[in-house]
Amino acid sequence: MKAPKGVSLWRDGMRRLFHRRLAVVCLGIIVIYFLLVAFIYVVELFNWRIGPTLWAEPTGPSYQPPGSENIFGTDIFGLSVLRKTLYGAKISITVALFASIISIAIGVPLGAIAGYFRGIVDDVIVWLYSTLSSIPYILLILAFAVVLRDKTIAGQKLTGITSVYLAIGLTGWVGICRLIRGEVIKHKEHEYVLAAKSYGCTNKRIIFRHLLPNVFHIVIIVFSLRFVSFIHAEIILSFLGLGEADRPSWGAMINDARIELARGVWWQMVAATVAVFFISLALNIFGDALRDSLDPKLKVQ
Amino acid sequence: MSDNGTLLSVENLSTHFFTQQGVVRAVQDVSFSVKSGRTFALVGESGCGKSVTALSLMRLVPYPPGKIVSGKITFEGRNLLGLSERRMRAIRGNRIAMIFQEPMTSLNPVFTVGNQIVEAIRLHQHKSRSRAWDLAEQMLHEVRIPDPAHRISEYPHQMSGGMRQRVMIAMAVSCKPALLICDEPTTALDVTIQAQILDLLAELQKQNQMSILLITHDLGIVAERADDVAVMYASKIAELADCRSLFLQPLHPYTQGLLKSVPQLGFTGKRLNTISGIVPEPLHFPSGCKFHPRCPIGCNDKRCQTIEPELRRVKDGRAVACWYAPGYERSDDIKV
Repeated sequence: MKAPKGVSLWRDGMRRLFHRRLAVVCLGIIVIYFLLVAFIYVVELFNWRIGPTLWAEPTGPSYQPPGSENIFGTDIFGLSVLRKTLYGAKISITVALFASIISIAIGVPLGAIAGYFRGIVDDVIVWLYSTLSSIPYILLILAFAVVLRDKTIAGQKLTGITSVYLAIGLTGWVGICRLIRGEVIKHKEHEYVLAAKSYGCTNKRIIFRHLLPNVFHIVIIVFSLRFVSFIHAEIILSFLGLGEADRPSWGAMINDARIELARGVWWQMVAATVAVFFISLALNIFGDALRDSLDPKLKVQ
Repeated sequence: MSDNGTLLSVENLSTHFFTQQGVVRAVQDVSFSVKSGRTFALVGESGCGKSVTALSLMRLVPYPPGKIVSGKITFEGRNLLGLSERRMRAIRGNRIAMIFQEPMTSLNPVFTVGNQIVEAIRLHQHKSRSRAWDLAEQMLHEVRIPDPAHRISEYPHQMSGGMRQRVMIAMAVSCKPALLICDEPTTALDVTIQAQILDLLAELQKQNQMSILLITHDLGIVAERADDVAVMYASKIAELADCRSLFLQPLHPYTQGLLKSVPQLGFTGKRLNTISGIVPEPLHFPSGCKFHPRCPIGCNDKRCQTIEPELRRVKDGRAVACWYAPGYERSDDIKV
């Protein structure tokens, strides 16, 4: 008789995830957005002149309504709204991706260290993130974005997009830090931590090899849920004129629409919001499904 | 020292916990020694300081709030309390290994058992990953896990409690330690598995010539497996003796009470003897001898109520901490 093959928590979670049809559809939508962004990067790399990268070329008269010539119509300069919307995905997703990476790189180690060592180290880190989170989020990002804008760091001038994701990433690590700290406090009481110490592991090894893999599903879940709020943050910054100035982004399009709407030009507004709507919804539903399938306590289906 | 076959000697070890309610003296003035190749049992009720003593030996008492405040732990000729953390890590798992009470939680759930044994091996031995993996498989074979080649890549949740405890043992003995500390190794297991695990430990002990420090509250296990015994009561050692004489002739009233309260086969009709009263709270130990409120001899004795007897050597290498133990008052040999 052969015992059934062992499955890791991950593989088991993934299997459960793929049993949910809605989650798979949402994953599909997310993948389409990411493929689009990858496509734009590749096209720009090789200087091919196709699709959304041609957003700067007029395709019709100013404010042409949606029709057979331009599916989403044109803006004031006669640029295709469809191309601008597609190109906007690149800015939003790039910013959200880098901001997530920065905030995870800061939040996860800090949270793990605070939770593991407690004492004065914990006090300092908790003080740091409490202070950060006591400042209203948008104001904080704005302050960071204004300060970082057009600064030169290590000989490199920060372009609009860099300062945006730095600003979002440097302020967005609080939530994940707090979650990881709590989970590490919970997990370090487990006997396997004592066992690891008893066979000679260093603290560093215990934190990063033993504890983090046990709490890492939280990072993945938070990542997928925070991604949306980072996209929103980018849009808000662009809307307020602190984002990428020279290239189309969803926030800038919505900002344009403020004036246009009075003239009955609704298509730029609709195109940008629909694009945001689908990625936000997909990420939210997918994040929830991910949480349900990665949490071993919710194994009932 | 390590001549006359002593592997580990503990002298006047005290470990305290500094809590908000006050100082908890979890281990006070504990002295004993473990001879190489032998089994030393530490017996006592819950909360008497057995586990903290074991953690102190490994220097794993959680700090804060716990701290080893005084004492000397000599292991293979070195004072463990004077070593740097780095040196101490080289000893943990390598020369002194430990297995725990709860096999269900002492393995990391996200790694396969093979991964964890390999980690323990590679922390102390320069071995390639594949060599270490082979050794891990061999260890699993040695601890009698069926089909080790297959079991090695399983996760802890796929194994039963007894199997996990075997994995823990495989991990602990993979570096051939000189001393294995077993903190209630069989408490969480069924009686049949208990016997198997204890047999396995005895066999590995013989094979590797290691000493075992067995922490338990089960006098049956002590009688069967231990060579020397220390009975702990309220953070201190009450009596220290070789196993045979302790069971034949217990000197301390607490030990006598313990032995009387063990149910015996064919013992019917009468109520089981108990020791009256409860274990004192570590924050409010009674004055004098800590056992006096529950002691049939000492409860009305002025001396027992006021002066605490220290552990004194009485005869045949036995030691006891009781004013009324035979030969105690004549003994000038305070030091054990």
